Amino acid sequence: MKRQRMKFKLLALLIFSLFLLLALYGGYSVITYGNRWFSSSRNPRVRAQKENVTAGNILDRNGVLLATTNEEGERIYPADETTRKAMVHLIGDSQGQVSNSVESFQTSYLYGFQTSFPEQLAALIRGDRRRGDDLTLTVCAPLCVEAQQAFDRYEHTMGKRGACVVMNWKTGELLAEISLPEFDPMAITGAVKQDEGQPFWNRATQSVYPPGSTFKVVTALAALSSIEDAEEQWIDCTEAVLDFGGGQLISDYGGEHHGVVHLREAFIHSCNKMFATLAVNAGQENMLRAAAAFGFNDNFLFRDLVVENSSFPEKADSRYTLAASGFGQSSVTATPMHMCMIAAAVANRGVMMEPRLLRSVVSPGGTGRLSYTENIYRTVMTETLASKLKDYMRQVVAEGTGRRADVSTMYICGKTGTADSTSKGEPITYGWFIGFNAQEDVPVALCVVVEDLDEGTAGGNTAAFIARDVFAWCGRNTELIIPQ
Amino acid sequence: MKASTADQTRRAGRALCSAVMLFFSTAFLLLALKDYAWQGFALAVAVPAMIWLGVSLLPHLFPADRLLLSLANFLCALGILLLYDTNPDLAYHQAMYYGVGLVAMLACIYAVRLLRQWRMAAALLIPFSLALLALPLLFGSEINGAKNWIYIGSVSFQPSEFVKLSLIVIVSRYMSRRRFFPWFIFAVGCLGLLMLQKDLGTALLYYAVTLLLYFASSGNWLLTLLGLSGGAGAAVLGYRMFAHVKKRVAIWLNPWADYDRAGYQIVQGLMAIASGGLFGVGLGLGSPTTIPIYHTDFIFAVICEQFGWIFGLCVLAMYVAIVWRGATTAMAARTGFHGLMCMGATLMLGLQTFVIIGGVLKLIPLTGVTMPFVSYGGSSLVSSMCLIGLIQGVASLNEEHLQEDARLAEYGGEIG
Repeated sequence: MKRQRMKFKLLALLIFSLFLLLALYGGYSVITYGNRWFSSSRNPRVRAQKENVTAGNILDRNGVLLATTNEEGERIYPADETTRKAMVHLIGDSQGQVSNSVESFQTSYLYGFQTSFPEQLAALIRGDRRRGDDLTLTVCAPLCVEAQQAFDRYEHTMGKRGACVVMNWKTGELLAEISLPEFDPMAITGAVKQDEGQPFWNRATQSVYPPGSTFKVVTALAALSSIEDAEEQWIDCTEAVLDFGGGQLISDYGGEHHGVVHLREAFIHSCNKMFATLAVNAGQENMLRAAAAFGFNDNFLFRDLVVENSSFPEKADSRYTLAASGFGQSSVTATPMHMCMIAAAVANRGVMMEPRLLRSVVSPGGTGRLSYTENIYRTVMTETLASKLKDYMRQVVAEGTGRRADVSTMYICGKTGTADSTSKGEPITYGWFIGFNAQEDVPVALCVVVEDLDEGTAGGNTAAFIARDVFAWCGRNTELIIPQ
Repeated sequence: MKASTADQTRRAGRALCSAVMLFFSTAFLLLALKDYAWQGFALAVAVPAMIWLGVSLLPHLFPADRLLLSLANFLCALGILLLYDTNPDLAYHQAMYYGVGLVAMLACIYAVRLLRQWRMAAALLIPFSLALLALPLLFGSEINGAKNWIYIGSVSFQPSEFVKLSLIVIVSRYMSRRRFFPWFIFAVGCLGLLMLQKDLGTALLYYAVTLLLYFASSGNWLLTLLGLSGGAGAAVLGYRMFAHVKKRVAIWLNPWADYDRAGYQIVQGLMAIASGGLFGVGLGLGSPTTIPIYHTDFIFAVICEQFGWIFGLCVLAMYVAIVWRGATTAMAARTGFHGLMCMGATLMLGLQTFVIIGGVLKLIPLTGVTMPFVSYGGSSLVSSMCLIGLIQGVASLNEEHLQEDARLAEYGGEIG
């Protein structure tokens, strides 16, 4: 009997712990995924609420009105056509064609789901129609326009698909985010819907591309932190190719070669053979660790943004694939948003900030519901390593493949990339530039991707031009992007 | 000292009962004001009255655990309230079965108190229960991939809900007498029949309760672990054999992969919970009816949407309190049989709640069992009340024994 009682106690504890598990798991899910589930376009509650509530306004960081609801209750985007088009992927459209835009992901504020009971009661007494909250974003509308127009300024990027992300590397505030091709949210025609360029798709956060040589930032970190004399290592890059046997060859862009190079020169001139060797020497485990430190394979759950996860292979199939991952090929993929965060982390002394989009949320009655808070996403590396990478990236822009991104009045650091992939069975090349201005008073980091490069061009003479224009604009208009 | 604990629970139970009655009369009034239907006003009076009957009157007949009664009654009434909001017809049904459930609970309490011939009862229950459980295979109809219902005229019921009770009685009787084969064969028979009906959720409950009771009665770790691994093996086998089990596991792993069809129910449930936030959208608001089968499997999502996650946690805490009372009663039981029976009923209620809420929250794969007391369904409600009846019966015997002891001690004191 007595032993049976002890067992009963044990069983009761078992059931209690099961219930504790339910409570913890449920609470965790509601906190981490709640808004993602709620703002899903499949949620019928949002549709019902749209009938009864006038959605709030969306403004950029300087008060430019980007979205509002007119007298007839229609959702309109009152900025001029150029601005409207540049912002469309970030803001969204009234039909919900762009997924995870502000219009859909922030439904809970815009449609008044956060309105408290006394506020609802007050509106009822006054006889007003209920209104949702007004959102002020961290983005700067003219900067988005500049980024978009920069694509059209150069022969080899004009009319191309692509994306550009600009953020403040100190705070994580998103300053600009564009995706091309764009469309006009005030004129969604059948032709737009059938466009094979998929204009509704937000390439900045939803497209995962092979990062190509921009990934060498990660490989360099893996090498510096796991190989003792990484900086002393050198290879003779006069051989045209590096042979892994069985026809698996690694060559450099355009078949060029760089002579005898150490890690630093290899980074500056983007030598694939050196980075393939470094990846193999560092080993799969160290490569995976460095990639994970930068956020690869993590489930991104940022509070303001939905960003597709980046991936680095958990296992290397062969030495060749490990070598290829050293310069961002094989099956390494990342979004432009994530690559921008990587550049920002180097600038911010190894600390990666969580990208933020909401600057403030204010109720129709004037009560603040939320204001901007900085949040560290993760600490990627030590300050020493970060400053070493910063020096490498500075030299890329000063004398290497990224020279075309330089702005003489600023301290631009960066890395170019040209990645090969296939799209619908056709080979396709992507041009990349990631980088930042190291000056403390204009702390901007960016990432530019240009899809389907023309024959004979690379990241360094496509994306780098756009990056330069965006950096220069930031330098000229500091007051618009940095709080005074 | 023991008497004062009883006093305390009595006072707590009484205060709880008043609060519960107030909660429900205002809640039903609120809903009634929406469309001025007389049924709403009637329920605003009838439900609190039934709670009062259940909680205040019963303890005059025999010493009862008021806290346990209040909790069970609260949960039943909560079910009726949610059903009245979402689908009034179901609520009338449920209210009727609530009455039936109270009577059935009373019957169980008296059975435990008065029945002396448990040996014969257990022996008779074995063939009767197996026959009952086999009925759906012969005359049943398939709902949601499982064939576990039978219809008699317009009345339908689920035999497995009632066989639960006899399982607990039979298993605890034979285990307390250290007779292995009768209960083992019966349990295996039940599991086999449930497997044939593809009612895997209920099979899981039967299996887990039997195994845990065996562990409690024998303390044999080796055989318990053996049974556990056997169960795991059966689960793998079930996964391999049944297509609908495979599908459920796939949905559990990623309901968003096919959210318009296979994952629809669970995705809608999660959205409902997320929409409720911490404090809920409010009674009568929101759109809980968009969840398929919201009234049985997904009633917890409805609770969370309307009353919020904090209230959902409170509901979880109520089940924890029920388990706590049940386990305490089982520990105080005077005979091994009564202890096992009481613990069996407690485990059944606790595990069933865990299995369904875990399914709704996507912690474990969803199995179609009901949430005790709250979910719509006459069979489930009545059988849950009967389980409470078993616990109450043992509790009242314990209390009487205590009073007896106290009297004897007083007598002994005078001698000393």
